[in-house]
Amino acid sequence: MKNIDRRKFIGTAALAGIGIAGAGMAASGCKRKSENIKLKLPPILKGAPSGKKLRAGLIGAGARGTGAAINFISSGPDLEIVALSDLFQDKIDACRERFASFNLPIPAENCFAGFDGYKKLMALPDLDVVLLATPPQFRPDHFLEAVTRGKHVFMEKPVAVDPVGIRSIITSGRKAEAIGLNVVTGTQRRHQEDYIETFRQVAGGAIGRITSAKAWWNQDHVWFREREPGWNDMEYMIRNWNNFCWLCGDHILDTHVHNIDVINWFIGKYPERAIGYGGRHRRVTGDQYDFFSIDYDYGSGVSSHSMCRQIDSCANGTGELVMGTEGYTNCQNTIWDLDGNVKWKFEYPLDENGTRMNQTVIPPYVQEHMHLVWAIRTGNYVNEAEQTALSTLTAIMGRTAAYTGRAITWDEIFKSDMDLGPSKLQFGPVDMVFETPVSGTPVISNVKPLYKGQII
Amino acid sequence: MNYIIRRRPSAGCRARTWFFISGLLVCALLFYSGRKLIKATSTDKSCMSCHVHPHADQSWKLSSHYNNASGTIVHCAQCHLPPEGEGYLVAKAKHGLKDLYGYLFKDTSEIEWEKKRLLEYAKKIVYEKSCIDCHENLFPVTLSVNGGNAHLFYTESKDPLNCINCHLTVGHFDKNAVLHEHDTNFGVTVTSNEPPFAEPAKVAEFKNFTEMIPGTRISFEMIAIPGGTYRMGSPDDEPLRDPDEGPVRTVTLSPLWIGRAEVSWDEYMTFFRETGSPPGTKVTQLPNLKDVDAISGPTPPWGAPDQGWGKGSRPAITMTWYAANVYCEWLSRITGKKYRLPTEAEWEYACRGGTKTPYFFEGDPKDYSSEGFLKRLIRPDTGIIASKVIYGLSSGSKTAEPSSLKENPFGLKNMAGNVAEFCSDFYAPDFYASDSTGADPRGPAKGQEHVIRGGSFRSDAKDVRSAARDYTRTKEWLVTDPQMPKSIWWYSDCIDVGFRVVCEADDSIVK
Repeated sequence: MKNIDRRKFIGTAALAGIGIAGAGMAASGCKRKSENIKLKLPPILKGAPSGKKLRAGLIGAGARGTGAAINFISSGPDLEIVALSDLFQDKIDACRERFASFNLPIPAENCFAGFDGYKKLMALPDLDVVLLATPPQFRPDHFLEAVTRGKHVFMEKPVAVDPVGIRSIITSGRKAEAIGLNVVTGTQRRHQEDYIETFRQVAGGAIGRITSAKAWWNQDHVWFREREPGWNDMEYMIRNWNNFCWLCGDHILDTHVHNIDVINWFIGKYPERAIGYGGRHRRVTGDQYDFFSIDYDYGSGVSSHSMCRQIDSCANGTGELVMGTEGYTNCQNTIWDLDGNVKWKFEYPLDENGTRMNQTVIPPYVQEHMHLVWAIRTGNYVNEAEQTALSTLTAIMGRTAAYTGRAITWDEIFKSDMDLGPSKLQFGPVDMVFETPVSGTPVISNVKPLYKGQII
Repeated sequence: MNYIIRRRPSAGCRARTWFFISGLLVCALLFYSGRKLIKATSTDKSCMSCHVHPHADQSWKLSSHYNNASGTIVHCAQCHLPPEGEGYLVAKAKHGLKDLYGYLFKDTSEIEWEKKRLLEYAKKIVYEKSCIDCHENLFPVTLSVNGGNAHLFYTESKDPLNCINCHLTVGHFDKNAVLHEHDTNFGVTVTSNEPPFAEPAKVAEFKNFTEMIPGTRISFEMIAIPGGTYRMGSPDDEPLRDPDEGPVRTVTLSPLWIGRAEVSWDEYMTFFRETGSPPGTKVTQLPNLKDVDAISGPTPPWGAPDQGWGKGSRPAITMTWYAANVYCEWLSRITGKKYRLPTEAEWEYACRGGTKTPYFFEGDPKDYSSEGFLKRLIRPDTGIIASKVIYGLSSGSKTAEPSSLKENPFGLKNMAGNVAEFCSDFYAPDFYASDSTGADPRGPAKGQEHVIRGGSFRSDAKDVRSAARDYTRTKEWLVTDPQMPKSIWWYSDCIDVGFRVVCEADDSIVK
């Protein structure tokens, strides 16, 4: 051992070290990968892998659609938005301008307005992916067309507003599976590292057997649009879609479905029955409720209480809680024992100043697109259509229980012929009645005051 | 040094070796020829050599499993035997022995080939595993919305379903088969040049009358059945009875009219034309009929509810129990009378026509029945029963027109056989023991399924006895309906149940 080149030695040792570490990482990575497959967990990626250029079209170019399109292109290399479709030209123009501001022009001839715009878009040659982000009423038709045209799909939640739409999504999802089209949905908590690691703990028995759950989404009132002169019924309703049940499905679908989906995911099944109620006090447009309170019965004595409210100046917050025989969790990052002591906490990364962050580095909205692109480019198949359809159906079951006052079973809602849309989609007057649902039957009473002002 | 001791093999050992080698050779030969034999006896030609019913060959060649765009031909054994390794040889031996027996002992001209094309027989000779073995993808991109719903139902169903529940005719073509298509032309054509009836029948006394449906040329006969007392059910010593037919009890009934025959297609089609709802009409909850002003009747059926046998005076079939009740309500409104389904007690009273025997004619169920091993070999006596009843052995596997048969003592046709008939009562097997109502008894207050009576063109002689009871099977009868939820108007999987109406007699007429 003479004349050892010190630098060379260090280099070799370092390489060996990397080799050993690499082997270790590969081994633990392998284990993790097989566990991910077993638990059906998506990978957590720093970015989508490189590969063939993917050209995507966006259907529904509103705020969420434009956001989803930006999330898509920022999830990895060689991802492009090449086409747009929306009912309204002004939405298309705004979205194009946004992309032009990033120096990513979208050719005008690839932009299609109107009810059949999505068909024209999907007929474009060399389109690999479509992003479906219209109001959920239209999703089943768009998804079916996408699968028929052989496109990979990202679609926003909720995926439909009624059971007829849900069954369409499930069937199209199975068609997609048969021909290897990847489908990712916008239930982003399932792509969020902290949720995924908490789920891994719970699946490993960290809280014992699950005994009950709670889910809530309470917030201020959401946006609404006042009718402008010159708008026909259809244009008004679609521009104010978030306030009409046939377009939005009510907020128990629109937003609360995220929490409901988490509970279904953690419990590992879908509820057998729902009983609940709701009402409308503060809204100014549309036909929807302000609040819902639903008891979802998962069988064997396990229930989840679901509540959602959109009223200003009330106690607000969103989240989930799952209770087990040996502890409980907020599903997002912490597990407590039955006395309320923290048993486990997800460790968030440090930011550039060395302080611990309170969220993941890559937003889940981008992570879900990384997952889609990863699946397309590596051949690791993903299809979330059915799982999100069934969580949306869970929300529909709760909504129907509140609207009708009846107990709604899973079997009944799965087979229901409820179909909320008008028979024909076209601009113009719409012949539909929009009464806010009232549950039960009225009380018949002959009680009248004997004199003015008498308390009865 | 090593010594190698070589022993000469003994003679016995040599023989054993030769025996072993020749045994191997014989086995190999048998194996080889056996495989050849199995192959040779599974060819279409081999099948056809015994299955000497040329229409099987012809209908196969017209079917989508032969005559299709892809040019693929699916051979006999690919559907009629399970896939190799999944019970192939056992099934082959079973069917082979059966075929051999039939070939040696049966007259092919006497075999009812039509019957073998019905679902219940087809299930025995078409293997689900074989369907799935080829049809791996149940959700091809080209699948329709109804197809998607039906396949979703198939994959999600907890009860086992068969592909041929829906796809019965894909292997052997049938021009009458319509798969999953609303038959919107059903009942559109009306052929009659005669002036329509202006008014329904006027009934002033308790006698037989002919009801006329106003605005049509359709009429039917109602027979006046005097009130009386009879012993309902079957005694313990009645041959081939079931326990739910007892104990026998004494029942008194008020006079009423009952249809001379089952409600015919002509009559039912009038109802369908006048009240029918467009396809897709939704009924989420069944309305209480007495409360509705205008009756909304059936949506168009799936396929051909008359099974291609023709309509006219043949009994209407495949309507649901609910639809039969809506028919009665509609008939009551247009005639100003009180029509309804008979109660079970009324039905048996009318069927017996005063007789106390197993049938309303002479004979022992044991002689007429073909149940039991020996009876399957020797065809039972059909003489008397076949002139009175359309049942399994006399029907040719379809309904008959009432004109082809003799009446019972009350002058009624097809009380036994032809089609089983809905009663208004819920079914409960132990109801006779628990009920003590002597006069005009009704069934249990609550229940799931309703009583059907009289047996049908598919029944054994045992089940067309006057006391024999049966009940609706709502779930089974809707298995292949692709709609979600399923139709409230038409059973997709029941072809042998219909109904007859009774008309209540007013106090003013019956004193």
